Amino acid sequence: MGDLKMSKVLEQLKLLILTGIVILIGQQIGFGRDIVASIPGMVVVVIISQLALIIKAMLPNVKLPTFAYATIIPFLLSMPFMPTADWILSITGQVEFLGTTTPILAFAGISVGNKIGILKKLSWRIVIVAFAAFVGTFFGSAIIAQIVLSIQGII
Amino acid sequence: MAEDKKMFSPALIKGFVTVFIIVIISELIGINSFSVGIATVTLLPMLFAVILGILVTPSILGKVITPLKNLVDEDVVEFAAPMVMITLLPLGVKYGTLVGPNVVKIIQAGPAFILQEFGNVATIFVALPIALLLGLKREAVGASVSICREVTLGIMGDKYGIDSPEGTGTLGTYLVGTVLGTIFFGLLGSFSLATGLHPLALAMASGMGSGSMMTAASSSLAASVDPALSDTVLAYAATSNMLTGVTGLYVVLFISIPLVNKLYDILEPKIGRPAVKAKEGGKDNG
Repeated sequence: MGDLKMSKVLEQLKLLILTGIVILIGQQIGFGRDIVASIPGMVVVVIISQLALIIKAMLPNVKLPTFAYATIIPFLLSMPFMPTADWILSITGQVEFLGTTTPILAFAGISVGNKIGILKKLSWRIVIVAFAAFVGTFFGSAIIAQIVLSIQGII
Repeated sequence: MAEDKKMFSPALIKGFVTVFIIVIISELIGINSFSVGIATVTLLPMLFAVILGILVTPSILGKVITPLKNLVDEDVVEFAAPMVMITLLPLGVKYGTLVGPNVVKIIQAGPAFILQEFGNVATIFVALPIALLLGLKREAVGASVSICREVTLGIMGDKYGIDSPEGTGTLGTYLVGTVLGTIFFGLLGSFSLATGLHPLALAMASGMGSGSMMTAASSSLAASVDPALSDTVLAYAATSNMLTGVTGLYVVLFISIPLVNKLYDILEPKIGRPAVKAKEGGKDNG
């Protein structure tokens, strides 16, 4: 058992609730989702997120990111043969997928702010090579996937 | 952090106010699609959010606008880093609800999921020759071994030392990915449809072992395909990303590193250029 402090859980919950509020308002603006009507869905999303953080703290020796736990819980609950599937899909359906991405990227943008200086020091050559690496990985995987999915008759 | 005793630290308040404003602006701009030649590019609010986020930091606009520097200070930048992990969790929950209902389809596509993991090695054949033609030496090995997320950074740091030329190259690709990766993949995700590759193949390719890059690539891809297919696209991408999280370490360690070194030995005498110092390229920028 890892160490699980109540104060830490409350601290995380506070941050998750604030994030939930930002998402609720964001999806009202971007997708016309009524804020009040979406609260139950957001409460479920926040609870599962908090559970993921608690599991992560309790299993320090398992090298899985917290993100994985946050994905696994609703994955198990929403599999077709699960009695919980309809409930979890309809309630989390109140939360827009794209609505959850905007605050992440806003924080991500701010967090790299102090790395711009380091990036400027790098050679422009590395920037080109990095983009080549991204393109290579992306299309390398896509081409293999295309071939195998075609052979399997899935696409 | 001493201010943790308070319910809301100044960094927390300023951080959330800033993100709140960025989210409102980004959502007001909304989803924009336009054609570039044969491709359709879809710009999602998240793309505006990451650009606005970078712009408001002390090293960019904060430098010239004093009130902005007072709102988004260094403490806020520091606060933002762990917040990325926290804010990723609601997205993780949404991904789970996309993968669950598609579990049968995903198991059926299992062979494709596993084999496309080897596609990550393709980066070496694309990036290494370019690096050598640009005059990089051993930095080229580090920069083109993979897309260099945390796992690769760890392995390369361990094997060569992060201050070595190889480590510098890996760190370079890592930093470019951190700062520009989501913007790059946000554009590539929708643009890639113009290649004629199937959206599901592109969805698998979007899972590269980085949560934010996968999200950027697959969301813009999903927004550009037939709505009936978009949930499957997101589910495939999330699954592939998880798989890369598991296999990535072994692929880099046992395939990518030996392969990039072998290819370097073959190609460097043929297409290598006189050495340039990778770290002192600043003067070349002007």
